[in-house]
Amino acid sequence: MRSYQNNEIVDVIVIGTGAGGAPLLARFAKAGLKAVALEAGKHWDPKADFATDEKEQNKLFWNFERLSAGKDPIPFGKNNSGIGVGGSTLHYTAYTPRPHPEDFHLYSDFGVGEDWPITYFDLEPYFDELEQFLGISGPSPYPWGPPRKTSYPLPPLALNGPAQLMQRGCKKIGINTSPAANAALSAAYYQEHVGWRQACTNRGFCQAGCSTGAKASVDVTFIPLAVHYGAEIRPECFAINFERNGTGSITAVVYKKNGKEERQLCHNVFLCAGTVETPRLLLLNNTANSSGQVGKNFMAHVGLQVWGEFEEEVRPNKGIPGGLISEDMRRPKDADFASGYLIQSIGVMPVTYAAQLARSGGIWGEALRTKMQAFNQVGGINMHGECLPDVNNYLELSDELDETGLPKPRIYFTAGENQKRMSIHGEAVMRRIWTEAGAKNILSHHRNAHTIGTCRMGNSGDKAVVNAAGRSFEVPNLYICDNSVFPSTLAVNPALTIMALSLRTADLFLSQKN
Amino acid sequence: MQQRYASGTVGALIDTNFVTPVTRQVLKERMAMAEAKPCFFDSPAFDLLSIVCDRLMAQDSENRIVNVALFIDERLKNKTSDGWRYNTMPPDEKMYLKGINGIEETANLSFKKPFSQLTISQQTEILGAIQKGTAEGAIWKEMESPLFFEELLTEVTEIFFSYPLVQEEIGFVGMADANGWVNIGLNGRDGIEPEVIISNTP
Repeated sequence: MRSYQNNEIVDVIVIGTGAGGAPLLARFAKAGLKAVALEAGKHWDPKADFATDEKEQNKLFWNFERLSAGKDPIPFGKNNSGIGVGGSTLHYTAYTPRPHPEDFHLYSDFGVGEDWPITYFDLEPYFDELEQFLGISGPSPYPWGPPRKTSYPLPPLALNGPAQLMQRGCKKIGINTSPAANAALSAAYYQEHVGWRQACTNRGFCQAGCSTGAKASVDVTFIPLAVHYGAEIRPECFAINFERNGTGSITAVVYKKNGKEERQLCHNVFLCAGTVETPRLLLLNNTANSSGQVGKNFMAHVGLQVWGEFEEEVRPNKGIPGGLISEDMRRPKDADFASGYLIQSIGVMPVTYAAQLARSGGIWGEALRTKMQAFNQVGGINMHGECLPDVNNYLELSDELDETGLPKPRIYFTAGENQKRMSIHGEAVMRRIWTEAGAKNILSHHRNAHTIGTCRMGNSGDKAVVNAAGRSFEVPNLYICDNSVFPSTLAVNPALTIMALSLRTADLFLSQKN
Repeated sequence: MQQRYASGTVGALIDTNFVTPVTRQVLKERMAMAEAKPCFFDSPAFDLLSIVCDRLMAQDSENRIVNVALFIDERLKNKTSDGWRYNTMPPDEKMYLKGINGIEETANLSFKKPFSQLTISQQTEILGAIQKGTAEGAIWKEMESPLFFEELLTEVTEIFFSYPLVQEEIGFVGMADANGWVNIGLNGRDGIEPEVIISNTP
């Protein structure tokens, strides 16, 4: 791997190596820029370091303590905040549905939420490119959304127990389903400058880290590509500050390595640390916040899950967890809410399932032990629905310090009326599907999934932190590219859209530079 | 409790090539950890927490599969977090120490005896009151008992069901996936996965 000195002025520093940071890093390196990525966590070797064990794999989560406030406090850490080279893609479940064109103009359609300053069609070429590069397994044609210019490069993964059950239940009540698009390989796949990646072996442990390289986390896709083209990855380097010149431009990023402060000189900074760490770094240094929007409009998808016990053996730990999808509820005809949601079948691992029964169901003692005896017969189904931005949902810095020595972020979140109505609608639909599929002892688990927002993009520096190209309205050489810039949540799992934004941000930057 | 799956399945697999080296190492370290001595809690607090954990997981204190309290002690000693806490709750170390005192206080107020000397049904009653927010005691006026219970129960559950011999009890051998899985559809069982020996439909 190429490396740079701290006192060498590199073209770009990328902070964070997840879905936001890794694709643009690879783009910049390919264009010949001197590019350095700072990553707070370790650079794992999945085969040697990833155990098939949920508890051990907590090391993939951002576990420095955050304070959760509001009426619906968000549990952080597990499965919504990653650390390590690859970021949250290390633990994402590999769901890669595309957003739909109408998701980008919610305000125009419903008079609530926000319009994006870009359209679906600005991102479409990047979706096409990403699906080919990552080796997405999925159905062609895809049954929902506008016609596609490209087909998924690989056929869908095999349906596991929960997927077959959802298919059965939906068929009985006339809901359309399809095998889902997943960023895990249904056959061996070759990527230039990355090499061969082998087909998924149905371990089902996507959320605990893929040890085989079948899942397209960015540590096995964009990161090796970036390194091939000359980028330097600096793991265990935690960015804490910026040095700025008289014109307000950033001249260096200060970071902690082995407890000591170092500073890397640079021409440009791409901040890709996610919905919590990106605004925290900006607030800590009072940077890029003339709009007052940094930390505002924290959002999380309506993510209700429904579990049931079946007569058949389901063994929900096996196979790609999200095998089947329905997007029939994107704009339900009987909706008393704006926007909509998608439904996915879900597999689960025992510790995650037991912890849900405990925390959300309040089940313990003999009742919990007995319930867990039916683990092999459990199947799940969940929704991901739009969350509207709300000024009362925000992130601030607290007075308490975390393990890094910096103030802990405090995040307020209360689900609004629109989300409550959508959740009720989704719960009724999913309970019906599960009943028709033959489920007994149905349980709902209310939750808000995916962290989104806090540094929104927009057309005006009064109302947004970055413009449509991801550039700060205030600091001329600072760009943000991650889930924090989303003005609205979109009703899909966010990873694919973050990666598409990342490639677009890179291309706009490069075209401006040339 | 009725046993649905045969014993010994995890033990039979752990040293085979069905388990990757790193997985084997993690699981063996965890089983060795169950023999450790507590460091964070003093002896009375640790003993009380151990009994509380037993009640929460319906374990016989004289014949435990695993003492969950050891793993809580280990985490608090190492000052590791799970990434968040309720804004209205004190930091984990304080929450645990306060919660243990709260349980003892409620036991004394309700039954005029230390928690450890109560019958199992009295202990269960006290924990139920703490979960519901109806437990007596000054400490629960300072710290919301339902949130303490939720935090405690979730951590105890995660530790308990991470223990290989507990996973065996529920017929789970997901750790033995070095070769992946083939029969992933409904009623699909791979050769090394245990079959139900006593069937009771849900």
